[in-house]
Amino acid sequence: MPKKFQITNNIRRLRFFAGEMTQQQLAEKVGASRQTIIAIEAGKYAPSLELAFRIAAAFGVEISEVFSYEGQGE
Amino acid sequence: MSYQEKRSIVSILTGALILAAYCLYAYGKYQAGRIAPDDLKAWAGVMLVFIGIGVAATVILQIVFHILLSVAIAIRENVRSDECDNKELEKTIGSEMVTDEMDKLIELKSMRVGFIVAGIGFVAALVSQVLNYSPAVMLNVMFISFSSGSLMEGIAQLYFYRRGIRNA
Repeated sequence: MPKKFQITNNIRRLRFFAGEMTQQQLAEKVGASRQTIIAIEAGKYAPSLELAFRIAAAFGVEISEVFSYEGQGE
Repeated sequence: MSYQEKRSIVSILTGALILAAYCLYAYGKYQAGRIAPDDLKAWAGVMLVFIGIGVAATVILQIVFHILLSVAIAIRENVRSDECDNKELEKTIGSEMVTDEMDKLIELKSMRVGFIVAGIGFVAALVSQVLNYSPAVMLNVMFISFSSGSLMEGIAQLYFYRRGIRNA
């Protein structure tokens, strides 16, 4: 059976440690809509590499601290 | 509910209204015997009129929707803080209506759904000619399938906004 990979993220935790940054504030910082940030946070949308880098830059961390991917169905 | 979801609902409602109006008008006329099944010129005329009405209704409803949304945001911001200047208000309205990569991906995927529905309709229209139905049936099947394709595009858009979307 082929492996399925799911991208998980720490955006909620990083927003909390960034002084309870709102989804709207993050959206404005990275040039996306609030709807997109909500979808990424909920794991409903896997962002492009560019947006992922922009989100990491908004928190001042490495991309691997924001996003990770886990194997499923092994 | 987000701006994008509301916009999709407006688009679905517009499409459904136009399709329903066409069905009621055209088949009402056909039932009354005021338009013959072989009178292609009359059918084409009715369809052209409804395409015009569809375009005008879409533009008008989108304008009305954006005005109402801007008013709703302005009222919400005024209630939230008394000192809300025009620049801040414009910025808030602008940030609500941002279009980004997820919107573009959803637009592409829902457009594909619309094209599939329209394509199936086109094939069904050709099949109707092979089966010796009148050319008016072909025209109607084509018109209805293209309208349904547009409607399905809106429904798919709403579905993707609700359920999420994957790049893969």
